[in-house]
Amino acid sequence: MINLNLRKSTRIDNKIRCMIAFAALIIAMCALFCVNVFTGSADISMSEVLRVISGGVYRQTGTSATILFKIRIPRALAAMLLGGALALSGYLLQTFFHNPIAGPFVLGVSSGAKLTVALVMIFAVSRFHMVNSAVMILAAFVGSMLSLGFVLIVSHRVRQMSMLVVCGVMISYICSAVTDFIVTFADNSDIVNLHNWSMGTFSGTTMDNVRAMSVVVMSATICVFFLSKPIGAYQLGENYAQNLGVNIKLLRVALISLSGLLSACVTAFAGPVSFVGIAVPHIIKVIFHTSKPIVLIPACFLGGSIFCMLCDMIARTAFTPTELSISTVTAIFGAPVVIIVMIRRKRDEL
Amino acid sequence: MSITGDTIISAENLSVGYDKPLIRDICFALHGGEIMTLIGPNGSGKSTILKTIAGYLKKHGGDIYIGDSTIDDLSPNEKARQLSVLLTERLRADIMTCREVVEMGRYPYTGRFGLLSPADNTAVDDAIELVQMSDFAHKDFSEISDGQRQRVMLARAICQEPRILIFDEPTSYLDIYHKIIFLEILKKLTRERSIAVVVSMHELDLAEKISDYTVCVKDGGIFKFGKPQEIFCRDVIRRLFDIPEDLYAKYLSP
Repeated sequence: MINLNLRKSTRIDNKIRCMIAFAALIIAMCALFCVNVFTGSADISMSEVLRVISGGVYRQTGTSATILFKIRIPRALAAMLLGGALALSGYLLQTFFHNPIAGPFVLGVSSGAKLTVALVMIFAVSRFHMVNSAVMILAAFVGSMLSLGFVLIVSHRVRQMSMLVVCGVMISYICSAVTDFIVTFADNSDIVNLHNWSMGTFSGTTMDNVRAMSVVVMSATICVFFLSKPIGAYQLGENYAQNLGVNIKLLRVALISLSGLLSACVTAFAGPVSFVGIAVPHIIKVIFHTSKPIVLIPACFLGGSIFCMLCDMIARTAFTPTELSISTVTAIFGAPVVIIVMIRRKRDEL
Repeated sequence: MSITGDTIISAENLSVGYDKPLIRDICFALHGGEIMTLIGPNGSGKSTILKTIAGYLKKHGGDIYIGDSTIDDLSPNEKARQLSVLLTERLRADIMTCREVVEMGRYPYTGRFGLLSPADNTAVDDAIELVQMSDFAHKDFSEISDGQRQRVMLARAICQEPRILIFDEPTSYLDIYHKIIFLEILKKLTRERSIAVVVSMHELDLAEKISDYTVCVKDGGIFKFGKPQEIFCRDVIRRLFDIPEDLYAKYLSP
């Protein structure tokens, strides 16, 4: 009887823990969104912001309105959506490879996408003087899948998780080198932006971009959420999952293409953003203390949003008027997490 | 052969192997409550047989029947409700309590998001109770001993409510006490729930005690098949493992 009660109470404790953590994450996300909208290099008072926002998008013509609706709000939304997408993409890759230090950046997925996007941008800008959001996402997706294809081929040959990451990092360097080469020699005035983008930044996002990315990110996220049951079984190992009735081949294809699509969307609009994909899932697992995908999937999304909005805030405001690239900031916070994870893994193995 | 019910799993002229057939013409039929053990030297093909029955390897010929239907006719979900495995491969459990590991056994029965109904929860609790792990249910799977872990794995396999259990060397790496506990629970639940069990083992003394049938596998072939009293005798065991007469006398004679 006592045992039964004890078991029930730990089950409830975990539920309460999850609920509190979710509430805290949602509050943090809203708070950071507000901070990002209210602060910036131009001084706009809080009452001014509220007046402009309550007026709606279309009636406003003043400077404050332009800054808010053309710069700050789309940028904050981009950080929110793309941060979530990155964290989720990292979570899927870690699950797929059963590898705690996998992520779109270290496996070279981001760099592959960067290369194809750069190529398409240069081609499109020189021909049509504009680039469509959908074309960018598509280009990035092709690049992501090509990199992932290479990583998959290697992972078939070597079963060691460290080799997988080394291979990913090498792919990443090759792609980055080629991208830099292209960007350097394509010095069209229209491509000035390309340099900033190739370093990673949320600035310059338009409301149209936000619309495109929200459609892709949201639909991919919902698909991932609907896969939470088979993902939970897959985590036990392929053979056990298969015994439970999971279609392993189909699930693997779904995991790879969804994570590729999510990180492609990020690279298309913000360039490569480092360490969010690796670090956030680990932080979230520590906070929630569970492996259940049905909890971790939404939590990773929220965590990624918060992480990126926080880092973007620092990137914008730490050394005004100079802006840091987003990867500079995410690396400072994200890399230590990876080191801690690796040390803890090693200790467990001993 | 005494028949204690309907045939649950049977094989007819089954050929197994990786790239080419290794073992041919395997035939057996198990009824509810019966345990068939596979014994033989390392690398003889025990795992290959088990993996083929469990559906991890393609069979090279013959048929496997679950009840009246061949195994190929069952959908993955139907098969999951009929057949459950415990492999030598470690189950990965990152941050999971023992109960959460057992809960995964309900996978074929839960809905789209895998949420447990009250009936599912009862099945999970019963399975944990059966393997005597109730006191450890809330502990992290990574924190318990090998013997306890194997019992949790047994509970996971049971709460899948299968008619067939396939175990690959479930008692290796356990100390003698935990080997006995594990087999005692297995034997009990096999009878109570009328399950058919196919299990490979290295512990001949223990295999003799729990088997209804024993298959001797040697050099990619069936060396001998029969009731335990026909198998576990000096002559068969000595030839199965190629043990010299003097060494057998020195170490294995009672």
